[in-house]
Amino acid sequence: MAHKETTGSKFDIIAAYKSFVNDPDISMPVAAMQSLSELIAQTEVATMFELMEAVKDAATRLKRHYSHNSVSLSAGCDVFYQFISSLRDFGQDFEGFKSHIIAAVREYAQNTKQVKDTIANHVDAFIQDDSVILTHGYSRVVVNALLMAHNKGRRISVYVTETRPRGLGIKTHEILTAKGIPCTIILDSAVAYTMEKVDIVMVGCEAVVESGGIVNAIGSCQIAMLAHAFHKPVHVLAESYKWTRLFPLSQYDLPTHNDHILSFDLVSTPPTSGTNSPLPGTPRRHHPVLRTSDTMPSLLFTATSVPKVPPQPSFSSSMSNVMPINQAGRNPEVDYTPPEYITLLFTDAGILTPEGISSYLVTMSLRSES
Amino acid sequence: MSATEPAGPALEDASNPQDGVQTRKQLTKAERRELQERQRAAKAAATASNPSNKSQNQKTPQSQSNKQPKKDPTSVAGPSGSSATATSGKKPTPKPGRDADKIAPGAGGMDKGDKIADLETQRRHQTRIFAHFASPKQDAQIGAGIKGEIHPTIVRLGRQFADMKIVGANARCIAMLVAFKAVIQDYVTPPNQTLARDLTQYLSPQISYLVSARPMAVSMGNAIRELKYHISVVSIDVPEQDAKDHLCEQIDTYISHRIVLADSVIEEYAMPKIQNGAVIMTFARSSVVERVLISAWSRGKRFSVKVVDSAPLSEGRKMLSALLKAGIPCTYLLVNGIGSLISTVSLVFLGAHAINSNGSVYSRAGTALVAMLAKEHSVPVLVLSETYKYSNNLQLDSFTKNELAALSDTLQPPNGQGHLLSQSSLQIINPLYDLTPHTHITVLVTEVGLIPPSAISTLAGLRDKDKGLQLAV
Repeated sequence: MAHKETTGSKFDIIAAYKSFVNDPDISMPVAAMQSLSELIAQTEVATMFELMEAVKDAATRLKRHYSHNSVSLSAGCDVFYQFISSLRDFGQDFEGFKSHIIAAVREYAQNTKQVKDTIANHVDAFIQDDSVILTHGYSRVVVNALLMAHNKGRRISVYVTETRPRGLGIKTHEILTAKGIPCTIILDSAVAYTMEKVDIVMVGCEAVVESGGIVNAIGSCQIAMLAHAFHKPVHVLAESYKWTRLFPLSQYDLPTHNDHILSFDLVSTPPTSGTNSPLPGTPRRHHPVLRTSDTMPSLLFTATSVPKVPPQPSFSSSMSNVMPINQAGRNPEVDYTPPEYITLLFTDAGILTPEGISSYLVTMSLRSES
Repeated sequence: MSATEPAGPALEDASNPQDGVQTRKQLTKAERRELQERQRAAKAAATASNPSNKSQNQKTPQSQSNKQPKKDPTSVAGPSGSSATATSGKKPTPKPGRDADKIAPGAGGMDKGDKIADLETQRRHQTRIFAHFASPKQDAQIGAGIKGEIHPTIVRLGRQFADMKIVGANARCIAMLVAFKAVIQDYVTPPNQTLARDLTQYLSPQISYLVSARPMAVSMGNAIRELKYHISVVSIDVPEQDAKDHLCEQIDTYISHRIVLADSVIEEYAMPKIQNGAVIMTFARSSVVERVLISAWSRGKRFSVKVVDSAPLSEGRKMLSALLKAGIPCTYLLVNGIGSLISTVSLVFLGAHAINSNGSVYSRAGTALVAMLAKEHSVPVLVLSETYKYSNNLQLDSFTKNELAALSDTLQPPNGQGHLLSQSSLQIINPLYDLTPHTHITVLVTEVGLIPPSAISTLAGLRDKDKGLQLAV
């Protein structure tokens, strides 16, 4: 879905992004940074101001295009913007400025493996011999850390949730078992059942937010809350480019939330008694939205994106084990885990508590402002 | 010119808080009690010889008789003073008022107002454990014993503070800074002195005067520190008028940047958190919250507000009328009603007097209740505050530092409860502030963004380090 830019220049940020994100080693935020850097390389503008504007413009278009899952992408764009606005020593040397950025981003993209290794080294001491780890979905950083521990001879076993609807946990299972680590896929709903057998919970994330909480694949918040209830530590592995100055007050305050998620179908006749619908002028907190149509954002949940899972033997053949498409569209893709359920965050900037994240972010942003 | 004239040397100690505190510290408890007995006896003698001194017991704001402050040894001049008075207060020692009563029984005794006022004195010094709370000052006590020239603007401001005509951290700070501009402009450097060194000393009694009217607000303290810094760096070569103009400009910049513009930025940060259809709860009156709500409404957001209020100041009414004037649908309730409504609330906006280093918020009494209840019901609590209200203090409860409101406001005679005031076993406490622990606050909305309460100390440390200022506790 390539659309031409309205600003007049010929650079297509969406197409550039898509080409970069195809690389399996490159995550969404890094691909965003690479595509913005490509914009700078190809731009025809001659002043700093115009350049910043062009970057801001492109970032907004990227974010809007991927609005259903844009948190990590936003984080990447914001980090990039902050990076270029903090570069002071170039003065009038515009070409030098541009080439510095391009070189920096290229190095950054090449070093993503190094960043993951740094994080794996930090978390190494926390993965003990003969421990059971629970993880969620597919996170390159987590898999890297587990493989590193395994290669050092530590005996670990891993539970991974199926992570519906995308089923990315299955990918984690494939990779780990191929390397010889015992791994079992558990149902998303079996986390409470499994938790007492678990020693630590280790997850990646899409983004780390200002409050010290994280945004990750749907289901992460539940796992963290259960781990908290069972007094199991929750360790989050996050590269520093995933940190964003967002501050969600609740799940519905996330930028990925919209009125369609968790909305109800308006069935044939509207309720006449009015017990469920709000009286005009008396809004209720988090009142569910009644929708009259089944329209859903076009990128969510096409039939092909719902993975095929092996048929469960105990279900009757007439019942499908995948929810209808129009229902699937009403479900969120990411959730917000508040900082009180997170034990530690392992980043390339060090091991931090959730409270420490904000101190770090505030310091960084004040430095770039001054 | 000092605002009070002590009647005689015997009473000088009592009505002179500054000197008195110093002397008192050196006396033992027994010695202090003895001194007090002597003073009381002297006063009784003076009253006996001068029946017109009975007027000292009346609580008239425009009291002309500044000669004998009503609450002589019982005024809360300092911790050492109060504990002495409090201990002696427990004994049924005759009070000056009662002496006057005995002395002039034919004059119809004291009228009810006198009796209430007198009992108020007694009661106050019976509340020993709260003796360290500052209490509202009578006319005669403002500026008692402060040596030095007090500028008329400051005198007026002190009166306004004491009468609670100007309330709120921002309002008081701005009023004080504006008054200081007048003081600075009228200041003349004495010969053989430099402005940079002398002006600070000149300002000290002015500040003490304001503090004697009402305890210093954290916002005021921070502003004064900033002002003193700017005064200290004035170059000796700068002509006096230029220096004065420069300082006034600094003051204007401080108000503009740290308060007015900061409020605009806070507005921008808070705006996305207000959804259409939201039900917002707020407490008493915060200038920042009021501004944000009115601005959001004018930008087309549609929401409703529940204004929670409490006695005795009922500041929520001012908030309510401002919001209603803007066209915002409001509900008004007292703090005891919040339990019933909290399940309908989507968001709580609160203001602050000060933010402490551990992220706890010191604000109007009742704020902690609202925040606590909201947290229990998973309602996000947003505290809107500029960064200049940060205090390096570490406060763990509402008890170690607080201020009392005027007693008579709590049990108004018109309600028919006036007779309760005459009960000697009744103690009345009316704190003005309370502390909300950081765990009950979801986010602090400041001009540097939305930050969790625990991060405020980093921020403050950074900001002032850049300027080379040391944060005093």
